[in-house]
Parts: sequence; structure tokens; C-alpha cells
Amino acid sequence: MHLRPRLRYLVVLGLAGLVLAAVGVTAAQSKPLAANHSTASTILDGTTDTVTNVDPAGNYDYGSGTVDILIYQHLLDLNAGSTIPAPSLATGCKANASVTVWTCTLRKGVKFSNGDPFTSTDVKWSFDRVNKIHDPSGIWGLISNLKSVTTSGPYSVSFHLSTAQSTWPYILATGAGEIVDHKVYPATKLVANTDVKDLVGTGPYTLSKFTPGQQAVFAPNPNYAGENGKLANGGLIITYYSKSSTMKLDLQKGTIDMAFRDFTPTEYTALGKTSGVTLYKGKGVGIRYLVLNVKRAPTNKLAVRKAIAYLFPRQDIATRVYHGQVQPLYSMPPAGLPGHTNAFGELYGMAPNAAKAKAVLAAGHIKTPVPLTVWWTPSHYGDASADEYTEIQRSLNASGLFKVTLKSAEWATYSKTLGTQYGAFQLGWFPDYPDAEDYITPFYGTKSNFTSNGYSNAKMDAIIKNEEGAKTLAQRLTYIKQAQVIAAQDAPIIPYWQNSMLVVGRSNIHNMKKTIDLDYLMRFWLLSKS
Amino acid sequence: MNQGSSLKRYAITRLALVVPMVFILLTLVFLLMRVAPGNPVSASLGGHAPPAVIKEISHQLGYDKPVYVQYGHYLGQIIRGNFGTTISDRRSVGSIILVNGAATLELTFFAMIVAVFVGMLIGLLSGRYRDSPLDTGGRLFGIVVYATPVFFLGLLAQLIFGVWLGWLPISDQASPITQALLQTHTNIFFLDAIIDGNWSALWDITQHLILPATTLGIVYGGVFIRLIRVNVIRTMKEDYIEAARARGIKERSVVYHHAFRNALVPVITVVGLQLALLLGGAILTETTFNWPGLGHELYIYLQNRDYAAVQGIVVVFALVVVAASIVIDFANAFIDPRVRY
Repeated sequence: MHLRPRLRYLVVLGLAGLVLAAVGVTAAQSKPLAANHSTASTILDGTTDTVTNVDPAGNYDYGSGTVDILIYQHLLDLNAGSTIPAPSLATGCKANASVTVWTCTLRKGVKFSNGDPFTSTDVKWSFDRVNKIHDPSGIWGLISNLKSVTTSGPYSVSFHLSTAQSTWPYILATGAGEIVDHKVYPATKLVANTDVKDLVGTGPYTLSKFTPGQQAVFAPNPNYAGENGKLANGGLIITYYSKSSTMKLDLQKGTIDMAFRDFTPTEYTALGKTSGVTLYKGKGVGIRYLVLNVKRAPTNKLAVRKAIAYLFPRQDIATRVYHGQVQPLYSMPPAGLPGHTNAFGELYGMAPNAAKAKAVLAAGHIKTPVPLTVWWTPSHYGDASADEYTEIQRSLNASGLFKVTLKSAEWATYSKTLGTQYGAFQLGWFPDYPDAEDYITPFYGTKSNFTSNGYSNAKMDAIIKNEEGAKTLAQRLTYIKQAQVIAAQDAPIIPYWQNSMLVVGRSNIHNMKKTIDLDYLMRFWLLSKS
Repeated sequence: MNQGSSLKRYAITRLALVVPMVFILLTLVFLLMRVAPGNPVSASLGGHAPPAVIKEISHQLGYDKPVYVQYGHYLGQIIRGNFGTTISDRRSVGSIILVNGAATLELTFFAMIVAVFVGMLIGLLSGRYRDSPLDTGGRLFGIVVYATPVFFLGLLAQLIFGVWLGWLPISDQASPITQALLQTHTNIFFLDAIIDGNWSALWDITQHLILPATTLGIVYGGVFIRLIRVNVIRTMKEDYIEAARARGIKERSVVYHHAFRNALVPVITVVGLQLALLLGGAILTETTFNWPGLGHELYIYLQNRDYAAVQGIVVVFALVVVAASIVIDFANAFIDPRVRY
């Protein structure tokens, strides 16, 4: 029978309505997604970090590191509130007289999440594979001083170093020291990120699902016997965002409970004023500094470098550009770390001083205004870099002593060039471990300086060597302080701010302050959700 | 020459042209990535690792080899069907295409439905009521949405419907819990939820689709509005329409059954070509809505200077556009013998 068109339409509409009603009824009857307790206490975190490899032998970036500390443990760990490595999978580690062999006694009764027992074989395996795999994205550079690892029974392991290294305990607490199950992890290749059943560790969580670029899902590890023994939450889901603006909107909506790394300064300020959201802030260990090329004019003149140090607008940058989210920094090791001194503040003052800058230039017979080209990079260090360097230019130019030209290059070009062509340039640093040494050696050692700014000082090299071989913390700190004095006197680098550890959480997340410290680690296992 | 053999010859010639097209594209992408400053190693380790380490890693990955050697290696892999592995996160480009390509397919499919629906509805009404306020409004709407950058429209949609009104989610394919619990079969979340019979997940996924698909669809619907309007106006002037009216057929029937159907024929060609623009728009939409499609991944890998990933994804985009244009060309050649070689 041929239906009239209008009737045909009515039949189609009616059928569609029935389908929708069926869907609606079924939807109403189906179980809600988050019905069980563990889902309700699962923390939902957002981040703009990315993950390269979850396998600890294949990563050297913060995003992967954040995932790794949830799955793995170290022989020594940085516990909440302390920057000193403390016993974790090891009950203690001791160095020999020459600080070239470190021997660790392992904790007994520890199991991996799959039930395999933890022994010294796993420790040797973990370190050996980092070197054997030698992954381009990996962390093998941190253990370049390691000659070999030997075991003496199931609960003792020794690290044999090429040269003395007093900071070896810190290395054990980094991603290079994450312990994996030798029965599961191949010796010469990485475990793929999506092979979650093979990503086995002794940490507080297991990785139950990983969708690259989208989501990492963690469930509690029933065999975990760590810092607090018991997790404060029922699990964790990390959602990865490409833009902080989207993450901010999701946080405001409540789609996620918290966000760690990273927002722009303006976004942080706005979130701090948002109802139902709290901005947690603590001292951070990331720093920003201006590198001065000691081989290129005009910064090859000490007087010019000192004048810049006298004029540097640290407080203006911290207030105007970063809305108080960073603190002025007067030495490379950030405030709060043992050994930090305000070396630049003591030598050049805590605020810009044009008169002293003028005097030092005059004493050095430097004609003013000094033409100076300063390089910065637009995206790698965040959108605020433009304002930051405008502020530096303004301050130097306002003194009448400098004529600053700003130039920028995109990171890929910039990072390859640095001191090979630039006379004065922006860089930032995030430490491998929260110790002052990591702010001295990579910048001031003749062989270890990566900035290519030409700096070399035999006295500084000697101090660094002594520090590396120091037998006590007190000795190390003495050398570190000496290094900072020379660093300020020579001024090849001008540090100017240290960041804060900033975390934003909704009101249903608790205990956030427990994990905000100079270790800059997000210990999700300490957080609870109501 | 009979129709069958001319169509066959057209098809063979058309397919043969794909090979040089793709080859030129692969070469262009390869060269552009090499010409752009930096490489994946300096992008990730520059400013942190010593130059000697960066040099060693670059050597390990072959970036210090002559460009022609790298090019030969690259082509050899493509010919073997191996798009390679990303440098930054060790994913096979093939798996990116499968997983993230599915997300892009999901978004562009629903966006195309929105584009065609919006275009058809407004275009038809504009053409039917030519020079009326409805027509003026429709044309203005078409121009404004087409001229508006898709990411700006997306941001507005997020603010209005997501944050201020709180009606819809503003990012991702599904809420975190849904995504964590969903079993993936096809990587198209909408289908996966149906396969599992998980209706609450389906509703969650549908809600997440609304804003990005509507945003992307409306922008490209602007093209269809103008095209359909013009075609409706032209068709309404045809003699057979006058004849239909003269036979006493009702005006509504004349418009919808005669004029509109014929006005749609050229639109089918444009739909295929718009796919290319839709994929381009998907990149901006995906980054705005954190939609994990190929465009979103391309954005991230570009920032990391990840040659393998960028080359692979761009090639896939190009192949999809080539395939779509071939299908449209075949359809046109089938319908209209004049377009055959």
C-alpha cells in the first residue's frame, strides 16, 4: 500500500520517538557509572604535561616522572616535607672512604604489584637496563658516573662509581633509580606504554589503563608498603590537556577535581579567586636566569655583567609579570634548599641600583649606553616570557646605561644555538634532584657547563671537585656556598626568580598541603576526596 | 567508444594519478620538516642536556646523516607500509592513525551531519523565501559563521553552554570515569558504547560530542547555506518548475519534491571537497575541545618536532582527501559522461 507523504512522515517521526523513548527508559534503568566506592573516591587530575615513556629507562621529562612515582619506588625516596633522601626500598646506604662505592641494604618482605618478591637482582637489573637500553629519551645521563652494580646476597647491593660522588643518594631518588621487576622488564628494550600489565612496580598504584595523550588510570596497589602504608584515596585518573584554558574551564565546572602543571599566571590568579577552588602555593625549585656570554662583547667585560646585575628588576618581574607567583632569586640554588645564600643580593643589593651600575661601568672605562642584544624564546618557558623580557629591557634602558634590543627565536632554533651565537639569553632550569649541587655543576664547571657561554674558572672547578668528593653534608654545603660567592663575583649567569609549586584543587580534595614542598613531587597517594 | 570502457579508462587514469600526487606530498612534508629549524632531540633536551649528549642522541637517531640518506630511508619505510615510530613517545604512527584517527572520524562524521543539516535547512528556506528577512538572516548567518575562526566559536560555545549555563561538557570524548571504564572495540566511543549496550556511557559521549561537532559543523554549514540557496533559486526558475505549477501541484510540493532535490545534486560534489576543509578545521576544534583526534596529536607532535609523527599524520590527512576526491570524481563521471577523459 502506498502511504501518502504526510502520513509517511508521521510514521517516521513516531518510530523515531519510540526509539528515543526506548533509549531513555533503558538509560534510566542502567547502572550509574560511578556507583562503587572506589570510583567515588577516585581523584580526577588534569595536567598539560605529556608522557613520553612510562618505562623509567625511557624518559627524562616531568610528565613521565609524575606517572612513574605513582608506580615505582626507589632505594631512597624524597618523603613529604624533606629534601633529604630517606630509606624506602633500602633501609640505608653508606659510602666508602673515597665516596666511590655506595652500598645499600635492602628492605625485606617487599613485593611488586604482581606478587614477585623484591631483591637485589631487581636493583642491579633496573640500573643495568637503563645503560643497556641507552634510550634517546632516557635518563642514562644521570648515571653516567656509574661503573657497575654488584650484589651480595638478596638484600645488599653496591654501586661502583668512576669518580667520587657525594650526591649519589640523590641520584638513587631520581627516575634513574626506579626499581623494576627483573622477571618482567626486558633487559634491552622498553616496555610499551600501553602494556599496562607489564608496567609493574612496588609503588602506591598500578597503572590499569593508559591512553596516550588522553588519560592514565591508576588503581591502588594492594602490595604497597610505602610512606604511609595506606592510600588516602581509591584511585586516580590523570587527564591530559593540550591547552591550559580548556583545563581551567573543566576545573571550574568540576569535571576534574584538581590540576597540577600548568596554567598561565593570569589563569592562576583567576582560579585563586574562583569560588569552590583553592590555589595552593609553596616554594618551588624551578628557576629562571639570564646567561651572559663571557667571550662575546659586550658581556665579555666583567664591568658590563656587574652593571646588569646591579640593575636587574627581580621584584618588578615577580610582581608585575607573575602576580606574585614567583619569588625574586639571588643565587642559582633556590631559597629553601640547604646551602642557598643570597649571594647576588649581598654583592649587588636586593633592588636595582643605577648609581652603582654607573660607577662600575665608569671604573671599567665602558662607554654608555652599552648596546646589548638580549635573546629570549616565546613559547618554551610560557607566554609570560615576552613580558618578562620587556621588563628587563625597560629597567636596563631606564638607567640610561644600556640600550637593549630584544630578539626572540622559537625553541627549536634557540636551544640549538644558545651561547654559540647569543651574547645574553634566557634560560630556565628544573633540577634533576633538589640539591644545591644541581644548580652549580651544570652551569659553572668548565666541562659540565651546557650553556656554551664560555665561562671557565679554575677556582670554581676546584670547588666543584671538592664538593663532589665531600664526605659530610656540612662539608658539601661549605663548598656550595663558596661556589655561590664566586658565581656572583664573576656573574656569567644572573638568576632572577624561583617558581612556586602551584596546585589548584576543588574543595572536595584534602591534604594538598602535605605534598607541596621543595621536592616538587605530586604525591597523589596522600590526597583524599570527599 | 561505449560508456563502460570510457568510465573504466577514466577510473584507471584517475587512480594512476594518485601515485605521483602522494609521492610529491610525501617529499614536500619531509623537506618542510627538515627545513624547519631544530629537531626532536634539541626540542626536548636543548637547554638542559650538554651539547655533547644532544649530538650523541642526534647521531643515534640518524639526524646527522645527509638529508638524501634520511629521505631514502624514509621512502623505503613508507613503501613497506611502515610509517615508523614517533620519536618523542615511541608510539607506532600506525596506532596513532587507528586510535586518534577514529576520534577524528567520529568528530568529522557528526560535524558533517550538522553542516549538511544546517546548510540544507537554512539554504532551502533562504532560497525559497528569496529577498525576505528570512533570506537576509540566513545569508548573514552563513557569512558570519563561515568567517568566524572555528576556535573562537568553540571558546564561545564552551563559555556559554559549558561554564555559564552548565548544560554541556566542554572537553574530551567522554567524562574521565566513562573513558576509564569504557571497553574500546573500534576506538569510536559512540559505537563502542552501543556495542557494549552501555547507555549511560552513550549519553555521556553524546553530550561530549554536541559542542565540538556543532561548532565545527556550523562553520562549514555556512558554505552549504550559500550553495544550496543559489541552487534552489536557480532551480526554481527552471521550466519544469513552471510546468509543475501549471499542472496545479501545490507550491510546497513543487519546492520540496522538485526544486530542492535537483538543487542538491551539485552539493554532493561539494560535500566531498569540504571534507578536506573539515579535516583542517578539525585540528583547531580538537585542540580547543581537547578532542584526542589526529589534529590534536599533530599539534603536539609539531611542537616536539617529531618528524615521524608529523609526516605520518599529514600523509594520512592527504590520503583521506585524495580518496574523497576520487570517490566524488567517480560519482561525477558516472553521472555525467562529459567529465571523463
